[in-house]
Amino acid sequence: MRSRRRRKQISIAKMAEEQQESSQGEMEGVNCLAYDEAIIAQQDRIQQEIANSNPLVSDRQDLSVLQREYAEDDTVYQLKLKDLYKKYAYIRKTRPDGNCFYRAFGFAHLESLLDDSKELQKFKAVAAKSKLDLVSEGFTEFTIEDFHNTFMDLIELCEKHPRLQELLNSFNDQNMSDYVVVYLRLLTSGYLQREHGFFEHFIEGGRTIKEFCQQEVEPMSKESDHIHIIALAKALNVSILVEYMDRGEGGSVNNHIFPEGGDPRIFLLYRPGHYDILYK
Amino acid sequence: MENKYNLKSPAVKRLMKEAAELRDPTEHYHAQPLDDNLFEWHFSVRGPPDSDFDGGVYHGRIVLPPEYPMKPPSIILLTPTGRFEVGKKICLSISGHHPETWQPSWSIRTALIAIIGFMPTKGEGAIGSLDYTPEERKALAKKSQDFCCEACGCSMRSALLPLTSNSNPSAEDRQAKELAQQIKFKAESSIIPQASTSGSKASTVTKGETSSSSEQQAEERPQAEQAEASPAADPEELQAPNDSGPVRRLSPRQRRAQQLSRQAPRTGREPVASRALFGPAPRRDNHAASAVLIVVLTLALAALIFRRIYLANEYKFNYDL
Repeated sequence: MRSRRRRKQISIAKMAEEQQESSQGEMEGVNCLAYDEAIIAQQDRIQQEIANSNPLVSDRQDLSVLQREYAEDDTVYQLKLKDLYKKYAYIRKTRPDGNCFYRAFGFAHLESLLDDSKELQKFKAVAAKSKLDLVSEGFTEFTIEDFHNTFMDLIELCEKHPRLQELLNSFNDQNMSDYVVVYLRLLTSGYLQREHGFFEHFIEGGRTIKEFCQQEVEPMSKESDHIHIIALAKALNVSILVEYMDRGEGGSVNNHIFPEGGDPRIFLLYRPGHYDILYK
Repeated sequence: MENKYNLKSPAVKRLMKEAAELRDPTEHYHAQPLDDNLFEWHFSVRGPPDSDFDGGVYHGRIVLPPEYPMKPPSIILLTPTGRFEVGKKICLSISGHHPETWQPSWSIRTALIAIIGFMPTKGEGAIGSLDYTPEERKALAKKSQDFCCEACGCSMRSALLPLTSNSNPSAEDRQAKELAQQIKFKAESSIIPQASTSGSKASTVTKGETSSSSEQQAEERPQAEQAEASPAADPEELQAPNDSGPVRRLSPRQRRAQQLSRQAPRTGREPVASRALFGPAPRRDNHAASAVLIVVLTLALAALIFRRIYLANEYKFNYDL
């Protein structure tokens, strides 16, 4: 008898739940559109705030500016900072908008080519050919050519031996800077897809390389991981050194060269979720 | 148009290029900017031939943000399809509702092909989505050709190239279709978390309409939800064969419309006219049935508890009064 009673109680509870659920559903119908737009608006506000306080690419600053960012009794970071001072003297910060790796890489590499016209010509040839590779991989030419042209314009600007400030201005022009980021993302995506046999072993979540590129590489503001860095470094035949500064024990910053065994010309500082540029 | 816009703006440059690229209508789609505004386009798309939308040519607007192509376009249908709401922004991964998945290398053409590719998929309660019956959709498809747009002067009868029987899609079209398929896949996976709640609720309501017994409803619900979750499930399978009114899964807005219309007199029974007016009675029955059931069960419980107390304490009641 008791079990029968319980069953009845449960069925009553279930019905009450269902009624509640359906009225909730109606509320959602009314609100979800406004809700969606409110979320988008809030994200925009946050992005705007970040934009107002951080230039896309900053001036070169003394590395000691980092000291202020960490508490004095934060021994892990203070030790690592000391280690970093031994190797580097300056830092150039990038805006933390999810595109920092591409922007830091783009700027640091072109800056390093300003006074090396031989390397610049080599790089220009690689960059010029890269669009054809993308088109032959199935990217639509008329949509990617604007991005490619902007990238080539910047390389041509470097050929004219401009003052550093000119390059910096270009990278702080939102339109131009973002177009360069888009093109670097396309190059990364193109390389990952070309070498999918190798890279698909590193993809999490059972996705194909194509899906990974559609979700994590090509959309703006998607952050970069090892796999993106390796692909871009190989796609442009450029060697990148990344110093990793995180909360791990050990008191020293670890670095990694992409691709392994290269002779890096550009140095990036990685702190969880963000890349800046380092100078010796 | 050329001197009205700043040609240095990347959006203007890109949109001019796209306008030139899309100047001539194809068999399946056509889109051009309005004469006085490069940032608002009107488009026409043909319903996929092997679907309920066969024979339909639908018209809509595309609104481009000033940041285009860094930010996605918004897409709004102007003629009824039975798949997308009229006058409301469509929620595709390619549209303004999902700025986080938009890719700057996509274009208006990608968006048009995505819309066509999306029509036969299920709405599943996503924003701006509708799940009309095949009959309604076919009727709307037939009607759609009569539309003439006052803003852009397009007539749906002549907006697109006529379909040829042995149309060989060009390499470009194939490429774009492939792209649209990726988009479709992605949009589905990104819509599901959002749709799963409202989708299952929709199924509860619909089930309530088909089966008058609420116990049966409770038993059937898990299976119904499973059927909805599986992509292969045919919407027609969910219809009760003997039911007089059309049964379908509804968008939240339709459900509201339906509830509002409960007071309205029942008039037209033909599929299109009865869109918002069908089946008000079963829903009310269901409410009454659950109320009665609650009362009966409460009474039964009270009686049982009363008897237990009576047995335990061996109270004597004076029945003769």
